[in-house]
Amino acid sequence: MHTTSELLIQVLWGLGGVLTFLFLFIVVNKAMRELKERRAATLRKELEPRILEYVNGKGERLGPQLGHLGGFERSVAEEILLDNARFLKGTARSRITAACEELGLVQDRIAQLRHPRWWKRAEAAEKLASMKSPKAAPELIVLMHDEVPDVRMRAARALGQLDTRTSIKPLVEAMQDPNRWSALRIADILAGMGTDAADELVENFNTLPIKARVAAVDCLGRAKSLRAPGLLLRLLTDPDRNIRARAAHSLGLIGDPNFTPDLLKSLSDAEWPVRAMAAKALGKLARPEAVEPLARVLKDKEWWVRINAAEGLRSMGDKGLSALVGALSSEDRYARHAAVATLEGAGVVDQYVGMLASADEKEREQALSFIRKIVASERTDSLMQSAARHAQEKVREQLSRVLKPGEVKP
Amino acid sequence: MNPPRILVADDDATIRRFIATLLVDRGYEIHEAPDGQQAFRMAAEMKPDLMLLDLIMPFRDGFDVLQDLKRQDTTARIPIIIMSVKNREEEIVKGFNLGAEDYVVKPFNSLELVSRIRKILERSRS
Repeated sequence: MHTTSELLIQVLWGLGGVLTFLFLFIVVNKAMRELKERRAATLRKELEPRILEYVNGKGERLGPQLGHLGGFERSVAEEILLDNARFLKGTARSRITAACEELGLVQDRIAQLRHPRWWKRAEAAEKLASMKSPKAAPELIVLMHDEVPDVRMRAARALGQLDTRTSIKPLVEAMQDPNRWSALRIADILAGMGTDAADELVENFNTLPIKARVAAVDCLGRAKSLRAPGLLLRLLTDPDRNIRARAAHSLGLIGDPNFTPDLLKSLSDAEWPVRAMAAKALGKLARPEAVEPLARVLKDKEWWVRINAAEGLRSMGDKGLSALVGALSSEDRYARHAAVATLEGAGVVDQYVGMLASADEKEREQALSFIRKIVASERTDSLMQSAARHAQEKVREQLSRVLKPGEVKP
Repeated sequence: MNPPRILVADDDATIRRFIATLLVDRGYEIHEAPDGQQAFRMAAEMKPDLMLLDLIMPFRDGFDVLQDLKRQDTTARIPIIIMSVKNREEEIVKGFNLGAEDYVVKPFNSLELVSRIRKILERSRS
C-alpha cells in the first residue's frame, strides 16, 4: 500500500515536471519568436528606405548602400525586395532582380533547390519566380524532373516568369506529363510567355500526347503567334473531335477574318462540340457571310450549338440581330427559342415592349408585329412578366391583349 | 510655392511606403490612408491636389469612395488616379465613368506613374 502511494506521488511529480517543461518551452519559444519578429521589424525600418531609394533609381548598385549584411539582415532585405516586386514592373522591377543577384539571394535560393526536404525546394522555386533572374533557369530546368509533383509545378511557374528562351523548351517537354491537369497548367504558363513559347509548341506539336495537344491548341489561341494559324487550320480536320473543337475556338481567339471559310466548313462537322466552337469563333470574326450559315445552325439538334450560333449572331450587330428576328418565324421550335433567348439578352425585346407606349402609330404597329412573333414562338415568360409588372399601364394593357387571357400573372 | 499634396489610399502598407518614397524624392507632400473610410474622410478634410486610390480596401471600396467624392461639390474637383489589380475592361470603364482622371493597373511602372501624376497636376493647375 505504502509503495503504491509513493509510486503515485512519483508519477504526479513526473507529470508535473513534463507539463512545466512544456509550458516553459512554449513560453520561451513564443518569446524568441516575438523577439525575432521585433528585430526583423526594426531592421526593416532601417533597411527599407535605402532599398526603396535604390529601387527608385538611386545609385548603380544596392550592395554599397547597405554595407555588409549578415544572414538575418539578408533575409529581411530579401523580404523587402520581394514584397515590392509584387506590384512593380519596368525599370524598378529590373533593379529588384539585379539587387537579388548582387546580394547573392539568387545563389542562396538556387542552393536551396537541392534541399532534402521537398517544401524547402518548393519554397526556393517560389522565391526564384519572384526574383525573375535568368541565372536560375538551368537549375529550375533540372527541378522540372523532381520526384514531387508540387515542386515540379512550382519550378514550371518559376521558369514561366523568366524572360528567357531557354526555359521554353523544358516547359514544352513537361507537357508530356501524363497528368492532364499538369499539361493544362503548363499550357497556361506557356501562354503567358508569348509568341516564342507558341512557336516552340507549333514545332513540337506532333511529339505531344493527345491530352497535351488539346491544352497546346488552347495555348496557341491565346499566345497569338504568327505560326499558329497554319497549324490550327490543319487541325480543323484532325481525327480527334476535341482537337478540332479547340482549334476552332483558338482561331476565333486569334480573330483573323480570313479563317471564315474554314470555320464555315466546321459548322457542318459531324460532332456537335466542333460545330458549337465553330459557331462561337464565327461570332468573334463577325463576317457578314457568316450570318446566313449561323442562322441555319440555329436549328441544330444540340442546344450548345444553337446558343453559340445565336450569341454569334448577336455579336454581329444589326445584320445578326435581323437574322435573329427572322428566326422568330422559323418552323423549327428550337431555332425560335434560341432566337428569343438571345434577343431578350440583347435587350431587343424590352426595346420593342417599350415602343408599345409610343405616340407614333407606326412604331406601335412595328412593336406589336414583333411581339406577336414572340408569342407565336411559344416562349413568352419574359413578356408575361412585363405584362404584369411594366411601369407603364399602356404597355401592360397592350401586352395583356396580345398574350392569351389567363396567362398574365397577377 | 507649396509642394503638391497627394493622398495615397491603399490598404497595402508596402505599396504606400513605396509610393511615398517615390514621390517625396520628387518634391511632393504625401499623406497615407489605409482604408476606404479614412481615405474619404482625409480627402474631404485636406482636399489634396491629387489622390491615388486603390479599389479593394477594407470598410469602403474604391469605387464607393470615388463616387461619393465626385458627388460632393467640395471634393468633386480632386483629380483621382485609380490604382488596382482589377484589369477588366468593364472595371476600367466604370472607373472613368465615375470620374477618375486615370486608371493604372498593378503591377505598374513607377516612372510611368510619376509622369501621369505630373501631367494631371499640370492640367488641373492650368
